[in-house]
Amino acid sequence: MAMEIDDSSNNLQRKQSLYKSLDETFGVERERYTGQQYSQIYFARLHLMRTILYSLVDTWKPHLPVCTVLGLELGKECVIVGTLYKHMKLKPCVLDEYSKERTGIPLVRPHNFMHPEDHLVLEDESGRVKLGGTVISPSLFVTGNVVALHGKETSAGDFLVQDILEAGLPPQEELPFDTKDKYVVFVSGLSVGCSSSNPLLSQLLVDHITGHLGDEKEQILASQIVHVVIAGNSVELPTGLFNGQYLAAKDHSKLSMPIKELDILLTQIAAALPLDIMPGTSDPANFALPQQPLHRCLFPGTSAYNTFVSCTNPHSFEVDSVRFLGTSGQNIDDLDRYSNAESRLDFMERTLRWRHIAPTAPNTLGCYPFTDRDPFLMEKCPHVYFVGNQSKYENRLVKGPEGQLVRLICIPKFCESGVAVAVNIRNLECHALSFSTDLDL
Amino acid sequence: MVGHSVCCNVHGFRPYFYINCPPGMGPDDISKFHQTLEAKMREKSANNGSPKCILQIEMMQKRSIMYYQQQQSQMFLKIVVALPTMVSGCRGRFFEAFKREDVRLEGRFNNLQYSSFLFAFYCSSLLCLLAGILEEGMQIGTYESNVLFPLRFMIDCNIVGGNWIEIPSGNYRRTAKTMSYCQLEIDCLYSDLVSHEPEGEFSKMAPFRVLSFDIECAGRKGFFPDAKHDPVIQVANLVTLQGENQPFVRNIMTLKSCSPIVGVDVMSFDTEREVLLAWRDFIQEVDPDIIIGYNICNFDLPYLIERAQALGIADFPIIGRIRNSMSRVKDATFSSRQYGTRESKEVSTVGRVQFDLLQAMQRDYKLSSYSLNSVSAHFLGEQKEDVHHSIISDLQNGNSETRRRLAVYCLKDAYLPQRLMEKLMFIYNYVEMARVTGVPISFLLSRGQSIKVLSQLLRKAKQKNLVLPSVKRKGSGDGTFEGATVLEARTGFYAKPIATLDFASLYPSIMMAYNLCYCTLVTPEDVRKLNLPPECVNKTPTGETFVKSNLQKGILPEILEELLGARKRAKADLKKAKDPLVKAVLDGRQLALKISANSVYGFTGATVAQLPCLEISSSVTSYGRQMIEDTKKHVEKKFTTDGGYEHNAEVIYGDTDSVMVQFGVSSVDAAMSLGREAAEYISGTFIKPIKLEFEKVYYPYLLISKKRYAGLYWTNPEKFDKMDTKGIETVRRDNCLLVKNLITECLHKILIDQDIPGAVQFVKNTISDLLMNRMDLSLLVITKGLTKTGEGYAVKQAHNELAERMRKRDAATAPTIGDRVPYVIIKAAKGAKAYEKSEDPIYVLENNIPIDVQYYLENQISKPLLRIFEPILKNASTELLHGNHTRSVSILTPSNTGIMKFAKKQLSCIGCRTVISNGEQALCPHCKGREAELYCKSVANVADLEMLFGKLWTQCQECQGSLHQDVLCTSRDCPIFYRRKKAQKDMAEAKLQLDRWQF
Ligand code: SF4
Repeated sequence: MAMEIDDSSNNLQRKQSLYKSLDETFGVERERYTGQQYSQIYFARLHLMRTILYSLVDTWKPHLPVCTVLGLELGKECVIVGTLYKHMKLKPCVLDEYSKERTGIPLVRPHNFMHPEDHLVLEDESGRVKLGGTVISPSLFVTGNVVALHGKETSAGDFLVQDILEAGLPPQEELPFDTKDKYVVFVSGLSVGCSSSNPLLSQLLVDHITGHLGDEKEQILASQIVHVVIAGNSVELPTGLFNGQYLAAKDHSKLSMPIKELDILLTQIAAALPLDIMPGTSDPANFALPQQPLHRCLFPGTSAYNTFVSCTNPHSFEVDSVRFLGTSGQNIDDLDRYSNAESRLDFMERTLRWRHIAPTAPNTLGCYPFTDRDPFLMEKCPHVYFVGNQSKYENRLVKGPEGQLVRLICIPKFCESGVAVAVNIRNLECHALSFSTDLDL
Repeated sequence: MVGHSVCCNVHGFRPYFYINCPPGMGPDDISKFHQTLEAKMREKSANNGSPKCILQIEMMQKRSIMYYQQQQSQMFLKIVVALPTMVSGCRGRFFEAFKREDVRLEGRFNNLQYSSFLFAFYCSSLLCLLAGILEEGMQIGTYESNVLFPLRFMIDCNIVGGNWIEIPSGNYRRTAKTMSYCQLEIDCLYSDLVSHEPEGEFSKMAPFRVLSFDIECAGRKGFFPDAKHDPVIQVANLVTLQGENQPFVRNIMTLKSCSPIVGVDVMSFDTEREVLLAWRDFIQEVDPDIIIGYNICNFDLPYLIERAQALGIADFPIIGRIRNSMSRVKDATFSSRQYGTRESKEVSTVGRVQFDLLQAMQRDYKLSSYSLNSVSAHFLGEQKEDVHHSIISDLQNGNSETRRRLAVYCLKDAYLPQRLMEKLMFIYNYVEMARVTGVPISFLLSRGQSIKVLSQLLRKAKQKNLVLPSVKRKGSGDGTFEGATVLEARTGFYAKPIATLDFASLYPSIMMAYNLCYCTLVTPEDVRKLNLPPECVNKTPTGETFVKSNLQKGILPEILEELLGARKRAKADLKKAKDPLVKAVLDGRQLALKISANSVYGFTGATVAQLPCLEISSSVTSYGRQMIEDTKKHVEKKFTTDGGYEHNAEVIYGDTDSVMVQFGVSSVDAAMSLGREAAEYISGTFIKPIKLEFEKVYYPYLLISKKRYAGLYWTNPEKFDKMDTKGIETVRRDNCLLVKNLITECLHKILIDQDIPGAVQFVKNTISDLLMNRMDLSLLVITKGLTKTGEGYAVKQAHNELAERMRKRDAATAPTIGDRVPYVIIKAAKGAKAYEKSEDPIYVLENNIPIDVQYYLENQISKPLLRIFEPILKNASTELLHGNHTRSVSILTPSNTGIMKFAKKQLSCIGCRTVISNGEQALCPHCKGREAELYCKSVANVADLEMLFGKLWTQCQECQGSLHQDVLCTSRDCPIFYRRKKAQKDMAEAKLQLDRWQF
């Protein structure tokens, strides 16, 4: 779609790109709650991952026999594949909420539930075995990971781990060759309606993207933006409005104002270029992953444009055959609560190596009880892997053993940082777009 | 050879008893008496082969324990009874471990059981017969003729329960033809046994082998398993060495194949016969000293034996330590004043102590439910999944995987008792109790309190050359006499600190202070006859006379002194001890000592006990009352403004052994120092060792009525220790959880936050939630145990009627006898009887049946609420129960009753609920404009439910310990069970509704 960007002499033409949504796997419209439980998604996950891991074991430990947890024999070295379960001392337990006697001291919720006594257990359909040894560190893994382990059963009945095999980065399509710079812009955490969000800041962003701002150089850059993705938490609705029975008239407006405001912002973008919006924790969407697209009735203005796509979280798509995958942040935030890493990028890298973007679902991360599939499994390796609503902007290029190249991006919360992120799909380079209302741009 | 089990056949010990020597009888007359008696015996007992019944009659100087007597002793006859020849020798069985074989044999005497059922029967019937002849036939009183033979043996050999015994080398020989399954078997004379007091090295525990087991049986649908029909399909066993925390054997025996389980030895068999025999062989092989489990005494053990009988496996029930001794099932009733009457079954396992955790729990803890699930939730802080017995058969009939599932469950059930036992230190506490009171451990569980006191009394009496008369039990006439009354309670809410003055061990101290005993009691005639000087006697408030200790020291006071002295020592040692195991022993001991000291008083008052003496017990309580009243007088006289104190002290309440005083000061610190001062001052006015102690301050304090109060409990002025409540509905069984939560929360607000308006608001919100149907169903569930079926109950009862109805709906899952029936009270047609309004909570959930909120309001929460609010709130009833908050009411539309069944399901507008014709839409044209807002509401609802759904179901996965298997649990005791069900149903509905908003 061509857009006139400026009335100055040289008319800039916005670049075009080919967009393909890959969200189908995250849809749950056809799913029903019919009493199914979470065992099935674990089962599906184990099954799929095991096929992958078994195919790798031949080259990893060619001489070792592959066993099930049951088939372990004392002292015999072997390889077992199963789902990890992390036994955590501090893990909050719903039972406590209901059954514990009231104490004088309120419960303090730590933000991370790690404890030195945590230990890992490997489970397959046949049983569980406690893992021992120093090779496998409980702080790096979480419940729900599927791994292959080399080791042997000790006399105490534990499995002494000697080596670990993860599925590794999935195979990747080669990055298409292109000479032109094209950018995809990511933003998350607009938090319209939140007391700390600054409407001006969001407007600056929109103006920049749409090319209504800055000098020619900036406008040229803007014209190279081919796609915008909003990675969750676009609005913040006042909490506590829904538990009461009836909403008073003034509450109606409290509720709909932020959404209206957002609609206006989005309309401006959608009028200029293609726009994807993903739901996040604070958006009016369901809670469990995959979160379903925000309903169009929320955005009467923007919905009129066919450039506007309301998509799922996680969200996967291709722009000019460059593959993108990302979430609004829940998966990585949850890993941070139940495991340790230096940086958020490390968590992201781990999920790539695990080939699974949300291993803690369903255990600590709400998710739909799928019966025959696990949509969070990564079949193909994306070129760009992003998570929204992080505390700061970070990025890293990860190279896989088979030449895979993945750009990892932590998208900061816009309302706090004023930062959006642009990725060049030609070379996967990325840079921050910072906005501030204090300084002149 | 440490840790081996030993069976010692002790020879030469004979049962005996005493009689008063008939007046005028001399040594020469004895043989004639002997013959007459023997003849009478033969006549009565249709001789059974034994050549002689009475072995020996001996004259002895003894004295009866009853009443103060001036002469030192009288002539008694000791009648020694012969032992039946069919059982060779009289044997106590005990199990010992070699330390150094050549030097000495040290062992562990843990349990003394009759060597055989037959023998015990013979022995006691013989004594009984003889005593009967003497008492009724010849009018001669007998002494100590009803002492249980094992106890007699232990007393005479100075052996207590949990005792180390040495048999010096040379004094025993290995038994040639062994009769037991013990690793060692020896013979010796009873006089060669050396018993070591449990002190120092000998206070250690023996390395008991503890077997914890659980069985599963496949019941038929709708019936509780019956050994005549239903097979035993699995038996799980864990064997642990006492003092270690991991079992060293874990196995399971299953009927039909079962997939392996990590760390567990799975043994599968094709027939039930093989399963049972494998278990028997296993028992003989591991040779456990203690068998534990949950409800094993009344269920698992009898079931196994009856099942073997049904299958005709004659040689199954050899699970004791004696070869050829068959275990049988006996019906027993056990009654005691403390625990009431219980029917139970008894299976003898000679040489192995059965320790049923269920019985121990019921005995030692007051809980609202004793299911293994709730007990482990309570003590171990974890839920246990519960598989309904109708599912068990399905799992069994599946494949080896489903049976494995069952096996894992069964193993868990065997492991939990083991963990409970460790956590609650049952072994330590019971062994210490056995040591202190001198009875075998098995008595502690299977008998009441009185045997413990009797054992101590007999031991002490023996030292003093006293004998105890055998009193015919006077039925179970309840010996309650005027109990300890309490001072009138001045009810109300006290915002000033209340100091509590406690009598330390009041009843024992009274008995010691006034030398109250059987042998110091002077009969009314003797009072007249003997003319004792008044300074030598105490006249009790009830008018009895007891001599002071300078004339005759009482035995009971002496026992008490020893017990309390030992407790003091144990407590002092406990403070010094470092080793956790030693600490456990000492703590168990001091507790045992305390309980024992307190039970002495009860022994004298219990008419069902061996030697009731109401003169003693009523004197004790009357003294107690006097002490309390004296305390009140003293406090109110001394602590006055006239006496130089800031305020006039006021006694607001007095309980059995404590007095609550409001000194009027407003700081905890000041109340504490006054409390201490008062305690010291008043103690000075009492005879030693009666002592008033100051321990705690309540602040604030809510006194509801006598025996009902709540307050914050302070032992130091900086910070309160806890909230303490007494007699307030928090654990009553037939209350729903709502009551408990509501009351706890209110008390919390009133006492800790001191926020009375907040508490009132909370009550109002809760009531409004209840009326508006926003209450979580699990809070409304009431549970009762089903003990009889339909006709068994004379009066129709809610739970039992419901069980009948459920049986009609689905016999397979309906509760059967022994199950607990959870129900909620539902709205029913006008005039419906209360018992018709009970309904299965699951059924209620599934069919949206409206709850009878009025019932909950009036019959459940109103009384307890008013009780706590009346002292603090004017018009509590109108304010709380009839205010504005009770105006809006919402009632669910049931989905399958009456007319609704036939009504066509019509879609209505999500916004305004008007019926919409175009079923494809979510909203009516009218509400179209509010689309965004209404959508937000729907989706927020879905989000909440999803969060709940996820949390609940993953918790269950965690609880059952598997991610890859479906949760099967139907544990209705678990706080999340109904929530989980409800979340599932609500989720399905919410999702459907959300789907109506199409894109
Ligand atoms: S309902 Fe769930 S948490 Fe409760 S006992 Fe059953 S499995 Fe455990």
